[in-house]
Amino acid sequence: MWFEDIEIGARRELGAYTFTQEEIIAFARAYDPQAFHIDPEAAKHSMFGGLIASGWHTASVWMKLMVAARDGGGAISSGVSPGFENMRWLKPVRPGMTLTYSTEVIEKRPLRSRPELGLIKSRNEARDESGELVFSFIGKGFVARKT
Amino acid sequence: MTLLHFEDFRAGQVYDCGAHEITKDEIVAFARAFDPQPQHLDEDAGQRSLLGGLAASGWQVCAIGMRLFADGLILKSANKGGSRVQECRWIKPVKPGDRLRLDAHVVETNISRSRPDVGFVTFEWRIYNQEEQVASVILTPILGRREPGGA
Repeated sequence: MWFEDIEIGARRELGAYTFTQEEIIAFARAYDPQAFHIDPEAAKHSMFGGLIASGWHTASVWMKLMVAARDGGGAISSGVSPGFENMRWLKPVRPGMTLTYSTEVIEKRPLRSRPELGLIKSRNEARDESGELVFSFIGKGFVARKT
Repeated sequence: MTLLHFEDFRAGQVYDCGAHEITKDEIVAFARAFDPQPQHLDEDAGQRSLLGGLAASGWQVCAIGMRLFADGLILKSANKGGSRVQECRWIKPVKPGDRLRLDAHVVETNISRSRPDVGFVTFEWRIYNQEEQVASVILTPILGRREPGGA
């Protein structure tokens, strides 16, 4: 998909993902070994009252679903991103929870410094089984221009 | 061990959180699990991309930043968790063999208006490679517990 083909307001469901306790602990042992991410017993006595996923795990699963959606056709993912803004972890993600992720294009502009590329901004969300917002951020991606 | 509390942090402080050398196997394993795009899996595909060679997923760079920040600071502090990242910039591609070092800069400290027992410490993580180039910058407020009875 080219920069010119991308429409502001285009929204796509990226699918659902269920977080298991084993995966939550494995991710956190590698990257975020705080007690409430790796130790179910200690987590009971934390402010969260139980084991919760690292926020970076919740974010990484967004990427996983985004790549799968792109490979299936449709979702925009350029492969290269300069970063993101305003990532919010609004509710804890607990073992057994299923999150449903989505992405929506909110802004596009040509890059002055790289005329062969445009910048796309997207609003990305994950919601729980009740539809409550759990996670959100504004993503950025470079997309090739036709001209 | 005495834990660091909100009162111990001052704008302008810099905490050296150590370094991690990333291997090709780590890059590929993370990419297979979370970001299976060709430039994170394959050297030739990386060469053809804007990244100029096999490079780590930006999400892995964030995760490694979290690990360094945890080992270097968070596990030594009365931390109550983070809730947000204001901004993350992926500036330089991270390649196999790169040694990533994290400095955590204290940008500002604010006492919570709604909860007087906690305060926010806003950190800027600066992740450098072995050539002292900034590979990534991440701005994140962390909720810290105030010293009991502290001013």
